Amino acid sequence: MDDDSREFEQFARPHAAAALRLARTLVRNEADAQDVLQDSFLRAFRHFRGFSGESPRAWLLSIVRNVSFTLWRKRERDDPGDLETTLDAESDPGPSAEARLLEACDAAQIHAALDRLPGLHREVLVLREMEECSYREIAEILGVPIGTVMSRLSRARAQLVRELVGDPRSKN
Amino acid sequence: METFDEHPRGALHAYLDGELSLEGSLEVEAHLSTCSPCRRQLETYRALRRVLQQARAAAPEAETALVRVTRSVRARRRRAFAIGGLGAMAAAAVVALVLIPRAGGGMVQEVAAVHARALESGRSVELASSDPLALGQWLSARLPGAVPPTAGGDGFALRGARVDSLDGRPVATAVYQVRSHLVDVFAWPSAERDMEPRPSVAGRWTVCRWSHRGVAYWMVSEAGTEDLKALAALIKERRT
Repeated sequence: MDDDSREFEQFARPHAAAALRLARTLVRNEADAQDVLQDSFLRAFRHFRGFSGESPRAWLLSIVRNVSFTLWRKRERDDPGDLETTLDAESDPGPSAEARLLEACDAAQIHAALDRLPGLHREVLVLREMEECSYREIAEILGVPIGTVMSRLSRARAQLVRELVGDPRSKN
Repeated sequence: METFDEHPRGALHAYLDGELSLEGSLEVEAHLSTCSPCRRQLETYRALRRVLQQARAAAPEAETALVRVTRSVRARRRRAFAIGGLGAMAAAAVVALVLIPRAGGGMVQEVAAVHARALESGRSVELASSDPLALGQWLSARLPGAVPPTAGGDGFALRGARVDSLDGRPVATAVYQVRSHLVDVFAWPSAERDMEPRPSVAGRWTVCRWSHRGVAYWMVSEAGTEDLKALAALIKERRT
């Protein structure tokens, strides 16, 4: 009778670290991230028999996202709907020195800059660049069309570059 | 295929992410060979990727959390076994717990939230059609075993379908319209016994669940209770 829980372990183990990283991206507080992770595993365990999609990772990460949002709603914190309105337009390409400035950033600076981005930008960057999800997987996780993934990703990248190396057009 | 009169903004990202067809990649490369701002931008985003990947933290504690969860499930089951001494019944109860999604108020809230989200984002239907056959094929290509929609009628127009997610699972969603209101109908195969429609109200939304011939249905709309009951009756009639 324990077989299904062992089977679930096999099913979820390859994606566990990605699930925790996404939880951290979305809730920003380690205790909450651990709660989200545990809730997500429980939910996923209850339903993984019915899973019939292509990507277990996308499915598991979409659960992490739902659980995180439930927590957000409970805390009445930043609603992802509001975050969307703060997304801004893509900047012009800056000087090629940008690449060198970026390379000089350390992990702490990267995480601090990510934290300053709106949640919708943060999560799409983490899914694409750190978890190496395809556009299709990201679309599945976020529940949006692929076109939205593309436009959000391009804005998110532009904004993170600005956070890290400054906006060449601004005075500061 | 279109050529880029200007800079291939979105395509540059898709190129970087390996999401373009061969043809598309060649197109972008042709543009890059003549456009230094785009080359610089690509260089910047490649650098961004490298630093993000280097900043990716290991998360070994995630596996520990997973094992903790499955271990506690096993421990709970052993207790259920020991207490009742009615092994088979306890096992059946555990199975029921595993197979049946939450049926209480939490589910009503979630169904309403899913509907609200779909309306807000303006993507209530992924495939717009009033043809139940076409929608059924489209759904089952994405979700094996998906319950096909039934045709509209009696004031309910079938508008299309999408695959949404409910309680952490993908679910076939048929979308109908009655007057100015859209109705989401989530349906999945279920071992539940037949159940008459049970409406409840969650804020501005009416939610109604029912079961018929091995299919569990949840419906949600701004339309009222009577409308949802009428739609349930229509679906039942079409299904028989």
